[in-house]
Amino acid sequence: MGLALGLALLLAAPALAQDDADGDRTELNGTIRFGFDQFFGGVTITVADATGAEVGQAVTGADGRWGVEVPGPGAYQVSIHPDTLPEGIGLREGQEATVEAVVEAGKARAVVFAVGEAPKGTPFGKRFAQTVFNGFKFGLIIAMSAIGLSLIYGTTGLVNFAHGELVTFGAVIAWYFNSSWGEVNLIYAAVLTAIVCGMLGAGLESGLFRPLRARRLGIFQLVVITIGLSLLGRQLIQLFFGAEPLPYRDFQVQERWEFGPWAVTPRELTTIVVIIVALIMVGLMLQRTRFGKATRAVADNADLAAVSGINVNRVVLIVWAMGAALAGLGGVFQGLDSDIDPFLGFQLLLLIFAGVELGGLGTAYGALVGSLIIGMSTEISTLWISPELKFVVPLVALILVLLLRPQGLFGLRERVG
Amino acid sequence: MAFDIIFGNAARAAFGPEAVILALAAIGLNVHFGFTGLLNFGQVGFIMLGAYGTSVTVATFGGSLWLGIPVGLFLALALAVAMGFPTLRLQAVMFAIVTIAAAEIIRILIGSTDAIGLTGGPLSVSFDAGAFFDLNPYADGPQDRYGVGTFAFTGQQMWVITVGWVLVALVSLVVFLIIRSPWGRVLKSIREDQDAARSLGKNVFWYKMQALMIGGVIGGMAGVIDAIKTSGADPNGFRPQVTFYTYTALLLGGAATYLGPVLGAILFWFLREWIESFLRQLAAEAWLPDAIADFLEGSEGIISVSMVGLALVLLMLFRPQGITGNRTEMQLDAR
Amino acid sequence: MPDNPIPADDRAALVESARRTTEVEPILTVYPVPGVAKPNPILKVDGLRRSFGGLTAVDVDHLEIERGIVTALIGPNGAGKTTLFNLLTGFDRADSGRWEFNGQEVTSPSPDRLARQGMVRTFQLTKSLAKLSVLQNMLLGAPGQVGEQLWAAPFRWLWSDQERANTERAEELLERFNLAHMRDELAGTLSGGQRKLLEMARALMADPVLVMLDEPMAGVNPALAQSLLGHITALSLEGVSVVFIEHDMDVVSGISDWVVVLAQGRVIAEGGPWKVIHDEVVIDAYLGRRRTEAAS
Repeated sequence: MGLALGLALLLAAPALAQDDADGDRTELNGTIRFGFDQFFGGVTITVADATGAEVGQAVTGADGRWGVEVPGPGAYQVSIHPDTLPEGIGLREGQEATVEAVVEAGKARAVVFAVGEAPKGTPFGKRFAQTVFNGFKFGLIIAMSAIGLSLIYGTTGLVNFAHGELVTFGAVIAWYFNSSWGEVNLIYAAVLTAIVCGMLGAGLESGLFRPLRARRLGIFQLVVITIGLSLLGRQLIQLFFGAEPLPYRDFQVQERWEFGPWAVTPRELTTIVVIIVALIMVGLMLQRTRFGKATRAVADNADLAAVSGINVNRVVLIVWAMGAALAGLGGVFQGLDSDIDPFLGFQLLLLIFAGVELGGLGTAYGALVGSLIIGMSTEISTLWISPELKFVVPLVALILVLLLRPQGLFGLRERVG
Repeated sequence: MAFDIIFGNAARAAFGPEAVILALAAIGLNVHFGFTGLLNFGQVGFIMLGAYGTSVTVATFGGSLWLGIPVGLFLALALAVAMGFPTLRLQAVMFAIVTIAAAEIIRILIGSTDAIGLTGGPLSVSFDAGAFFDLNPYADGPQDRYGVGTFAFTGQQMWVITVGWVLVALVSLVVFLIIRSPWGRVLKSIREDQDAARSLGKNVFWYKMQALMIGGVIGGMAGVIDAIKTSGADPNGFRPQVTFYTYTALLLGGAATYLGPVLGAILFWFLREWIESFLRQLAAEAWLPDAIADFLEGSEGIISVSMVGLALVLLMLFRPQGITGNRTEMQLDAR
Repeated sequence: MPDNPIPADDRAALVESARRTTEVEPILTVYPVPGVAKPNPILKVDGLRRSFGGLTAVDVDHLEIERGIVTALIGPNGAGKTTLFNLLTGFDRADSGRWEFNGQEVTSPSPDRLARQGMVRTFQLTKSLAKLSVLQNMLLGAPGQVGEQLWAAPFRWLWSDQERANTERAEELLERFNLAHMRDELAGTLSGGQRKLLEMARALMADPVLVMLDEPMAGVNPALAQSLLGHITALSLEGVSVVFIEHDMDVVSGISDWVVVLAQGRVIAEGGPWKVIHDEVVIDAYLGRRRTEAAS
C-alpha cells in the first residue's frame, strides 16, 4: 500500500516523502536533532545484526538524516557514537547509546536517539539566567512580528492567518539577498527585506483586502481567505526555496561575550537592541504623531474616523506596510536564531496569536507583554522539560489564562445590546 | 496525454479511504461550524485521538481492536469536554486560535520522544488490524482488483471503503435527524446570535458543548478509520493543515447542508488527485522543456496543496455557499 | 378555561376594568420619590453598581418594579438604561448589588436561567435570527420543549405533538402581530420594524412574567410604532409586567403607568407619567441645566 500513510500524505513534509519513496528498501533510518530546529551532521551510526556483526555504518548529513540498508528483516543493534556529536551536545538522560530495532521486509524503520545539551554541570542559577535571556529575545521576536497582526486587527478587524507566511517570506527573501542574489551583507539584506515586505503588505492591502472590505465580506470569509493565502504562500515558498532548513551566510559563528551570568553573541545583542528600538519607535509613533492618533482613531471607530476627515484607507495601508515590514524583520531575526525553512513563520504564528490573545486582542501594550510572557515561558520551561515540548508550555498557559480571563490580561469585556 | 489514467486516479482518490476519512471529519466539523457556528480550528485533534486511541489500545496495551475503537471515540469525546470548558465562552476568533493550539499541544505531546513507550512518539505506532480484515468478504489475493483501469481497489481497500461509506451514510442520517429537530433549531439560533438564544432561555454553553461532543466523536470516527486503514498512526499526519483541508471540503460542498460535507470531501480528493496526476503526466511529456519538467518533477504534491489554498480564496470570493448551499442565506450575512 | 358565557368584547372590557381597580390604582397611591416601595413588586433591586473603567454606568440604591403594569425607564443618552437592563437580565455582571425577581433572590444571574424563570428581554438592535424562518424564530421561544433535548431529538414522535401545539400558538401570535404572511420567510428578509414585532412576538412565546423591551420604538416608522404601543398595552392587560426603555417623553406618557428616570446611572425620579414629565429635576437632567449652572 503505497498510499498507506493516509492523512499523513496530505502533508508535504519532507520526511514522509522520503519514507514513501524508499518504500521497497529494508532499512533503518532516523534524524539526529535537538528540538525542532537543530539538526546535527557528521554523527556516526553503526548497525550490527543479532550476532553482533556490523552490517553497516552511516554518517548523518547536514539535515541530521541517516539511513542504513540492512540485508533482511529482523532485529538489529543500532549504536550512536556520542563522541561524534558536536561540542556541548550529548545523549539525553536515560538514552542508551545502543538500541535494538526490529525491521520488517521492504519497510523503513525509524530509530530515534534523544540528544540534548550535555550535562555540563552548569549551576542552575546560570542556566536560569541564560534561559531568561533566550526567552526575552524570543519574546521580542514574537512581539515584533505581532505588531502588524495586532494593528491590522485593531484597524480593520481582520485576523490574518497568513501573517506567519509574511514572517517566513521575510526570512526567505533575506536569505536570497544574502546567499543567492549578489550575496549582500545580511545587514543590508535585512533592510532590503523590510522594504520588500512592506511593499508586499501594501500590495496585499490595496490589491486584495481593501476591495474585500468594500464588498463587506463576513469575518469568517475573510479568515478563510487568509488561511487559503497562508497555505498558498507556504507551498509556493516551499516550491522555490525547498523544505530543507538553511542558515544565513553571515554571523553564523561568533564568540560569546560574558556579561555576569550571561554569555551573549553580538548577533543576539544586535537582535535585542534593534527590536527594542523598533518597538519604542512604533510606540512613540502611535502616541505622539498625527499618524499615530489617526491609527488609534480608526481602531476605535473607523466610521467615526472617516467622517472626521481621516483617510481611513491611507491609515490602513500604512499599517499594513509597516506591519508586514516588521513581520519580515522578525522573520530575519528568527532565521538568524534557528535557520530558515518554509514552516518557520507558521510555527511562530501560533505563538504570535498566543501572545496577542494573552494580552487581549487589539491592545498594543497587551500584545507586547503577552509576547514576552510567551517567549520567556517557552524558553524557561526547557530547564525542566524536554525542549521538544517547549511550545506546549505557552499554549497551555494561554488556555489557562483564558479560562480565568476570557478577554485576555488587558482586554475589556464587550458590552451586549 | 493519458487522461484515462488521470481520471482513474482522481476517481480512485474521490471514493477511496482518504475521502471517507475527510467526509467524516467534515460532517463533524459541519455540526460544529455549519450548524452551531463554532469556529473549531482544531478538528484534527479529534481525528488524532480517534486514531491514537485505537492504535495505542491495540499496539501498546495489547487490547482487542473492538476495544480500541470505543477507546478512540471516547478520547475524542473527552477532548471535546476538556477543550469546551475553557474555550466555549470565548469570542469566535479566540476560540479558533485556542482550538488550533489545543490540537497542536496534543500532537506535540503524542509525537515527543518522552512518549515513545506509550504512543511510539515520533516513530509512529503500528498495530495489527487483522480483527477488522478477518471480516472482509472481498477476495483479497495479490491479483484481485475491483474497478476499471486505474480506478481500482484491492480487496482490503474495498472492505475499508464499504464500511467507511456505510458509516458516512449512517452518520449523515443521524445528523439529519438531530438537526431538523427543535434541538437543531437551538443550535442554529446559537449560530445566528447566541445572545438571542440566551434571552429565550436556552443554555447556550451546554448546547455548544453537546455540539462539540457530537462533532468531535464523528471526527474521532474519521481517526478510527484512518488507524484501521493505515494499521497505525503517525504524529506528522495530524498537523493543523488537516483541519484546513477539512474546512476546504466542507466549504466546497456547502456548510450547514446535509450532503455538503460528503460531496465536498469527494470533490476535494478528486480535484487534488486530478491536479497531482495531471502534473505527473505532464512532467513526463517529451515536448516539455527540461527546465520546466525538472521543476515539476517531485513538486506535484506541493503544487496541488497550493491549489487547495487558492481554491479556498476563490471559493470565499465567488461562491461562499459552496456547490450545494443557498445563495440568499449567505447574503444575509453581509447585512 | 371551560365555556365562557361572556362575549369577547365584554370580556376585554371586564379585564380592563379589573386591571384599573386591582393594579393601576394601588400604584397611584404610591408616593413618587426615587426608590419608593411598591405594593406588589415583581422586581426589587438593592445597591446595584457597575462601572466601566473609572466611569460609573449604573448606581441604583433601591428600585422596585410593580407587577402587572407598564413601567417606562427613561433618561438621557448614556444614563445607563441599557446597562441596567443588561445587569438585571444577566447579560452583564454587576460589581456589587442584589436583586429579587418574582419573590426569589437572584443569586447567580445567568441570562438563560432568568429567561426560563420568566424574565424575557428584547434588544435595542434587534436580534432576529436571520437564517431561520419567521416561524422557526417563534418556535424557538417556546419553553420546555422535549425536542430540545438531545436524547429526544432524533425521535420525532416524542416531540411532534408539542411542536404542533407550539406552531398553533406561534401562528396565533404572528396573526396578532401582522406577521402571518411572512411565516415562512427568512427572518433576515424582514424590515427593521417587522423585526421589532417579531422579537416581541417571540418573547411572548416564552410565556414571560416580565418583559423587558429595550427601545422597542427606536427606528420604527410612526404607523408601526403606534401598533407596537398597542401591543405593549395589550401585554399588560394579559397580566404580563412590562418594563421598556424609551427616549421620547410623549410615547412614555401615552402608555406607561409608572415612569422611572435614570441619569448618570442613578434613579433621579419616579412616579406617574404626568408627574414625572413636569418634574424640575427630570427636565434639568434632560436639558443638562444643572451641569451648566454648576459650571458657571
